[in-house]
Amino acid sequence: MSLDMVRNEVLLSVRDLSVAAEEGGGALRPILDRISFDLAPRQILSVIGESGSGKTVLARTIANWLSAPLRVTGGEVLFRGRDLLADPIHARSLAGREIAYVGGNPAGALDPTMTVGAQLVEKLRAVRPEITPAEAKDKAIRLLSAVRIPAAARRFHEYPFQYSGGMMQRAMIVDALISDPALLIADNITQPLDVTVAAQILKLMRELNAEFSTAILFICSSLPVACDASDEVMVLHQGRVVERQAPAALVTRPEHGYTRALIAELPTLWQGGPEGRDERQRRDQRAIMSVNGVSKAYETRGKSGKALVQAVRDVTFDVFPGDNFGIVGESGCGKSSLMRLLTGLERPDGGTILFEGENVGAASPARLRELRRKFQLVLQDPYGSLPPQSAIGAILEEPLKIHRIGTPAERRERARAVMSEVGLPADIYESLPTGLSAGQRQRLNVARAMILEPRLLIMDETLSALDQTEQGKLLDLFERLQAQHGFTYIFISHDMTMVRQVCSRIAVMYLGETVEVAPNERLFFEPGHPYTRALLSAAPTLEPRRYRPEDCLLDGEPPSPIDLPPGCAFASRCPSVTARCRAENPALRTRGGQALAACFLVPDPSVTFDEPMEKSDV
Amino acid sequence: MSSIDITPPRAAVREKTVSARIWQLALSSVEFRIGLVVFTVLLLATLFYPWLSGIDPLKMAIREKLLPPLFLGEGWSWAHPLGTDQLGRDMLARALVGLRYSLLIGISTTVLMVLIGAMVGLFAGYYGGRVDTVLMRLTDAQLSIPMIILAITILGVSRPTIPAIIVVLGLAGWPVYARVMRSTVMAERKKEYVRGAMVLGATDLRIMFSLILPLVLPPMCFVAVLDIARMMIFESVLGFLGLGVQPPTPTFGNIIADGRKYLMNAWWIATMPGVFLVLTLTSINLMGAALERARNAIYGGA
Amino acid sequence: MPILRFLVRRLFQGAIIVFLVSALIFTLLRIVPGDPVRLMAGGMAPEALIEQIATEMGLRDPIYEQFGRYVGGVLQGDLGQSFVRPANGAAVGGASFDDSTRSERAKVLDLIAQTAPKTIQLALLAMVFALIIAVPIGVWGGLNPGRLPDRLALYLSSLLVSLPNFWLGIVLALLLSVKLNLLPAIGYKGFAYTILPAFVLALEIAPFIIRNLSVSVAGVMGQNFIDIARVRGLTRNQIVFRHAMKNSAVPLLNLLGVQFSMLLGGVLVIEFIFDYPGLGLLTINAVMQRDFPLIQGIAVVTAAAFVLINIVVDLLATTIDPRLDY
Repeated sequence: MSLDMVRNEVLLSVRDLSVAAEEGGGALRPILDRISFDLAPRQILSVIGESGSGKTVLARTIANWLSAPLRVTGGEVLFRGRDLLADPIHARSLAGREIAYVGGNPAGALDPTMTVGAQLVEKLRAVRPEITPAEAKDKAIRLLSAVRIPAAARRFHEYPFQYSGGMMQRAMIVDALISDPALLIADNITQPLDVTVAAQILKLMRELNAEFSTAILFICSSLPVACDASDEVMVLHQGRVVERQAPAALVTRPEHGYTRALIAELPTLWQGGPEGRDERQRRDQRAIMSVNGVSKAYETRGKSGKALVQAVRDVTFDVFPGDNFGIVGESGCGKSSLMRLLTGLERPDGGTILFEGENVGAASPARLRELRRKFQLVLQDPYGSLPPQSAIGAILEEPLKIHRIGTPAERRERARAVMSEVGLPADIYESLPTGLSAGQRQRLNVARAMILEPRLLIMDETLSALDQTEQGKLLDLFERLQAQHGFTYIFISHDMTMVRQVCSRIAVMYLGETVEVAPNERLFFEPGHPYTRALLSAAPTLEPRRYRPEDCLLDGEPPSPIDLPPGCAFASRCPSVTARCRAENPALRTRGGQALAACFLVPDPSVTFDEPMEKSDV
Repeated sequence: MSSIDITPPRAAVREKTVSARIWQLALSSVEFRIGLVVFTVLLLATLFYPWLSGIDPLKMAIREKLLPPLFLGEGWSWAHPLGTDQLGRDMLARALVGLRYSLLIGISTTVLMVLIGAMVGLFAGYYGGRVDTVLMRLTDAQLSIPMIILAITILGVSRPTIPAIIVVLGLAGWPVYARVMRSTVMAERKKEYVRGAMVLGATDLRIMFSLILPLVLPPMCFVAVLDIARMMIFESVLGFLGLGVQPPTPTFGNIIADGRKYLMNAWWIATMPGVFLVLTLTSINLMGAALERARNAIYGGA
Repeated sequence: MPILRFLVRRLFQGAIIVFLVSALIFTLLRIVPGDPVRLMAGGMAPEALIEQIATEMGLRDPIYEQFGRYVGGVLQGDLGQSFVRPANGAAVGGASFDDSTRSERAKVLDLIAQTAPKTIQLALLAMVFALIIAVPIGVWGGLNPGRLPDRLALYLSSLLVSLPNFWLGIVLALLLSVKLNLLPAIGYKGFAYTILPAFVLALEIAPFIIRNLSVSVAGVMGQNFIDIARVRGLTRNQIVFRHAMKNSAVPLLNLLGVQFSMLLGGVLVIEFIFDYPGLGLLTINAVMQRDFPLIQGIAVVTAAAFVLINIVVDLLATTIDPRLDY
């Protein structure tokens, strides 16, 4: 092998790259510190690191997309041997042609007023003017089908808002690959997507890498995703490369302390085995909340006139005192709508929601206000959920004022008590919440909810905005409060690992329906519904997978909730689909041991008592 | 996530309300300061000059009629910096007294229309549905009659007095505020803190008046500064058409309308008060524009 | 057809608006003090005669009856007859009370139809001028937020918006027409007479367009797809002229729809100053003469125009931005 050939084996070579942010007074704050690495053609290299580690800055530096206050303070970025930093005009000519970039925000990545197809053609012709419009169109449609966008020729003429998030991300990948680039920078491309969609995109990316021989720099913040996606993983910590290894080696033999901590911190799905996470159930008691056949549809007015969105369809489950009940599902599954029904913010179209035997859905507004003392909601967004211009003390006393409880002095006393209980320092009583961190804000939210001493707390994605460490602390807090006050929790979440950690029983929702309700260990070790298996297969984890996405998930798109198919809603993506599934919607049926699933594959327990056989369960 | 993931250096805890931040941002801009200085000078002048100089804006002195302003033309005098009109009345004193009425009407009209608009918009945006439809149809109807046609119709057919002018302009100008208020309240209503308050059991009125209104009204008032200037123009238009405050009380409108007859031989009667008015309005508009930008900056980014 | 459904719905809503407007104006005119018959018949007319004329004209019936009659007429395309204007030519004012043969009075619809084309000509020309002045300044300002062009746009629009149209009209007429003799100003004897009034009107509208455009262009330029377009390899010209301008057009259109009434208000004053024989002058004269049917007719017609223009604006907006709902 000659020297030349070795040189050719490197597509991108970053040498001692340093980037800093200019701050007031000419001070420089380093973001990237002497980063060096090589990328070979056709290689997939993941770059991972927590937020603030500088990985996005790295991606943008290579994509020639740095803007003030960031600037390069040293080093070089060699693309095929030429330094991009020294030659901005050359770098500009490569942008979009040889070096393509896909970002993490597919929803806003294209002009909303032009069709996707027109923009793909526009981009290709901007970087390769020699291609005729007709050729460009053919190529765009060919690639759109290659990324499995159904009816690509028709979709070519649709607008960005008509694409779902996952499809839009595929279109952006087409946009990047259409000019046959040598390097693709994929910056957090799966972050905004649901896990099952993200799994599809990752699978697609690997296939395209093989087919188009494009090198990929894959930036992401989740170690499991990075390991799934790439040939090698590079770990970035505080602006420096701390290690680079193949995924398997990285997981088994991490060299750097930061990587070890990162791996240790990851929650697990299957570790600890199928036993022992479900001690708190007292099933002899009466259910504290009983949901029976609840449904809700919203009217929307679209271009084609009015349409009904079936947000919640025939949801049924019971929550028992002391339970940690989980409701999981991806975006659009109806869990937020269900939350609004459970808390009485909206009334269901059908079915009943009994709270301690009283129908929340039919209570008078005055009665509902009284009932609200006993069940409370903790919301998802730590920033939007607090009134922005009230002091912390006033926020906490507001519920007491609303329900006319106590004298001003008593309220103050009570507010201070709950503040200390959730771990907020007493001296911020008079401050505005503006200065609080996300974790502190969620503590404040919890404090506000529990000041009325409710029996049931509904947590709507309460932890999803927090990082791993902060999540752990709050979960401990929840457990302590539960022990002291006897709360019952309903956790609404999209995060399988979180649910695995805390919930005793779990309901899985898909397109408005509960497709499975089961105790924790049963759900994770012996799921009864193919959708649950798909969710588990896509959940980001470093553990050996019990379910592989290849077996559990087809390429299809979830159907629109406006235009639901007559049969099972999951039929379009289900690997075990039968003709019956497309014609008839299965109802929830019991699988024994308090587990229920809505699938025809679940054997009728009245006929046979055998455990169901799972082909992927071997 | 499109933002670059660098965490900003932990700034000192910002505990300022949105309105305070808007004020601060606006105050730091050049245009706001220019406007403020000019406006303050004019305000002091209109409050004190006629009184200090002892010149009666209504006093006629035929011997001193049609004197040109300082340095322009023949026969100017320091006693009348802006010259005199056909009856020998001092133009500066007349313009400053006119400015008083103009400001009085401009500000009260704006307050009135912000109040009406805010209430209509608050109820329409909060309740939505049928309430919204009815209120917004009314707003559209109001918006579809040019304000000035409505105003001159009412004032032309009845007698224009100052309260009548304020009420008429205020009643004609609220729809824009109702629309703006409605859309902000609608956006606000969807936010989680409102949902949180509902779950806590707060009544609708409590949420509207103690939670949403204090949050959305001040930013709207900042933008309303621009409308003070607009209303002052309307007032002068009415005066020009003879439907404003009636002579002999001087207003910009009737001074200019009078001066128009003498345009050929005493051009300053019509133009000088105009320059004065333009100066005042520009100062207000500069402040208003700075406030509007500050508001946009704080709501858009940050 | 969704578009048909949209049109039907909007026209129906528009009809309600026009109905509300006419009810509002009708009631207002009858509850405010000031008797039009006194004006029509002249100051000399005896009280009894005024009562007799008023009763004959139905002005003493309950308001709702009068309004019912009026709406009945409007539905048949009859906006009534002017109180004061004869069918053949200029207004006579309230000279002769014995001349009460009202069949000779001008039809409101005819009066409006005669003057409207002049006003439309004025408004369109003003709009063209305003866009020529405002678009480059606004876009330039929006592309450079916080920097000199943006400052200039801000100062210029603050100054322009502070110029009272009637004063500006007088000053420009004095300068351009009287002193420099460049353009004719007063009256109407041909297209040249439209230019100066249209220019004054354009200066009144321009600051709103400048402000709107600089804000929306700056907003669009800050959006993700513009940012990414550079990385995708598009040229600056493609980004600005194809994407940024197109996306900023929708807010501008909406502004023009809502500010239609402002435009008409300006037209009114400008026509009065320049003695330009359009709808605005007609309106002012109608108010001065307490010509109730004419005022009502103008209000109904302008409300209808407002409704139609806003329908057109919304249609255009949906063609530009397909996300918008009909």
